[in-house]
Amino acid sequence: MCEGDCKGAAKGRPNMKPVYPKAGSYPDFAKLVDRENAQVDRRVFTDEEVYQAELRQIFARSWLFLAHESQIPNPGDFVRTSMGEDDVIVVRQRDGSVNAFLNSCPHRGNRVCMVDAGKKARGFICNYHGWSFGIDGALRGTDGKVYEKDETFEKAQIGLTPVAQVDSYKGLIFGTFDPDAVSLLEFFGDFTYYLDIMLDNDEGGTEFIGGAIKSEIDCNWKFPAENFVGDILHAFWTHQSGAQAILGGGVDLGKRYDELAFQASIYGHGIETNLDKVGNTRTLGYPDLVDYAFDLSEKAKDRLGDIRARAIGAVSSCTVFPNFSFLPGQNTFRVWHPRGPGKIELVVWTLVNKNAPDHIKEQYRKGVMMTFSPGGVFEMDDGENWEYSTRVNQGFVTRHQPLHYALGIESADMERDLPGHIHKGSLNDANQRLFYTRWAEFMEHDNWTDLQNGATAAPKKTATAAE
Amino acid sequence: MLDILDISKPFADMDRPVDIETERAITRWLHAEVRYLDAERYQEWLTDFIDPEIHYWMPDMETRRRDDPRGMFAYGESAYFDDTWSELNIRVKRYNEPSAWADNPQTRHLHQISNIEINATDDPTLFAVHSAFTNVRNRNEADQDIIHGRREDVLRAVDGGYRLLRRRVFIVQNVLLSKNLNTFF
Repeated sequence: MCEGDCKGAAKGRPNMKPVYPKAGSYPDFAKLVDRENAQVDRRVFTDEEVYQAELRQIFARSWLFLAHESQIPNPGDFVRTSMGEDDVIVVRQRDGSVNAFLNSCPHRGNRVCMVDAGKKARGFICNYHGWSFGIDGALRGTDGKVYEKDETFEKAQIGLTPVAQVDSYKGLIFGTFDPDAVSLLEFFGDFTYYLDIMLDNDEGGTEFIGGAIKSEIDCNWKFPAENFVGDILHAFWTHQSGAQAILGGGVDLGKRYDELAFQASIYGHGIETNLDKVGNTRTLGYPDLVDYAFDLSEKAKDRLGDIRARAIGAVSSCTVFPNFSFLPGQNTFRVWHPRGPGKIELVVWTLVNKNAPDHIKEQYRKGVMMTFSPGGVFEMDDGENWEYSTRVNQGFVTRHQPLHYALGIESADMERDLPGHIHKGSLNDANQRLFYTRWAEFMEHDNWTDLQNGATAAPKKTATAAE
Repeated sequence: MLDILDISKPFADMDRPVDIETERAITRWLHAEVRYLDAERYQEWLTDFIDPEIHYWMPDMETRRRDDPRGMFAYGESAYFDDTWSELNIRVKRYNEPSAWADNPQTRHLHQISNIEINATDDPTLFAVHSAFTNVRNRNEADQDIIHGRREDVLRAVDGGYRLLRRRVFIVQNVLLSKNLNTFF
């Protein structure tokens, strides 16, 4: 109940201001990542207490992917998504900005939005008691005119809880529940250098096409996230059958692998690329797309320089910490939403350049469906690996065995003039080690000063190189 | 193009039931087809049951308000399948690889077909067929996936038999409650 200084709330009414939980510190969980020995303790994949700490330390603080600007072009356009396990509505405001709100009525907590997406909504009405909210999240009325009859009601600051900060980077909208979080750009650090490979390779910008595909996998969310942060190794073995079906041969590393391939990591975000121009795009199976990617690579040299222009369609993969991933060249963008330690909901979109010809967009749509959707000939074989990597740890003795993350332990590249921690070759666990190091930083630290100045921050030499 | 061959259009009036002989023949065809799929005889399925001009479509289902004109699905949006014959053939090629790990060890399949309705169309060689299905997959010890849905097929009479010319598959799930779709419908 609000008494004394009520900061705007009416006397005799509960203070309904949003509550943003504070982070804590879990040094024991941070120790589950052993940097000295390049080992990860399997409890990070199965332990319920570790999982609850992840929701608090990582998902309630990190900037999380919400939507692409193109999904909600007009005021009132909205999509429903998750931040961790929190249900969230992302909605375009009348002034063109984007806000996001917890999808939960402050009265009894019911969801106020039941659908995946909508256009030009005037607001959201809870099905339970008819409490209605504007697209700005503010309470506008209730059924039975309770709201209208009681003039102290509106002074109680009742509304949908806003996501504390929302911002966008070149078409991608992110949000964080932490009012004290560093800005989105600071959260990325110099990693924007690599994001631009896909987000800024063409003057017209990008868009999502064709809606989202959602599916469930019974695995811990970190297995797919670490797979995309840097695991080309699995492509040869796991995806041999898919490559045979589409290419008539195995996955190809590119002719100049030894010279060109690298992994880069900043704040746990990681990309690996072989700089072979079209290795990923080839696997979509359409010759026109390969031509398009070659032309784009040539044209983008002016915007991005030679190295990043070579990366647009190359054999590569990327994760933005913690759970947003994409494949350059194959153009699949996805979020691995946690649903308990042993389950995820996977949401997949296709990204294209707005200026791409229609038949190229259509081939990306179909190509992603054929490769990286639940029925796709590549994605088909991923799920079971991640499920059993998770599930075997039900075995008490099994889960006490350490996991080996030491591939490429001596591969640090101190010469290459690129932002971040650079390692030679993409057949390497380097980005995965840094992903888990970042995970441990989030477990350990309760403040952003420590979070932004630990081992995963870009080494100083590259901070200047990126400018 | 006839409306029934337009993948974006549902069947219109279904008030032209075929004669009993045709109904028997097409029902037998439907049952034989799923027996081939149960047995993972995908190469023969492509050869013996699928028309070279096949359009095989399975959209994903959105949850939207009733007053949203976009409806639950639309052609050209995201889909699990949107295949020509050559695209179905790519999927079959993967199954034929010994390293298709999601199918090795072998998956146990069962397709159940019911609610069959067979109608004549304006083209005497084409038939509009409704059916409902239960698609069961079980693998390893206890991994089970069950998907229910409906199909709208157009069959073409060819050489005394039939070939699948168009298939629309509508499952009842929004979030696919499976990690993959190593199956056909």
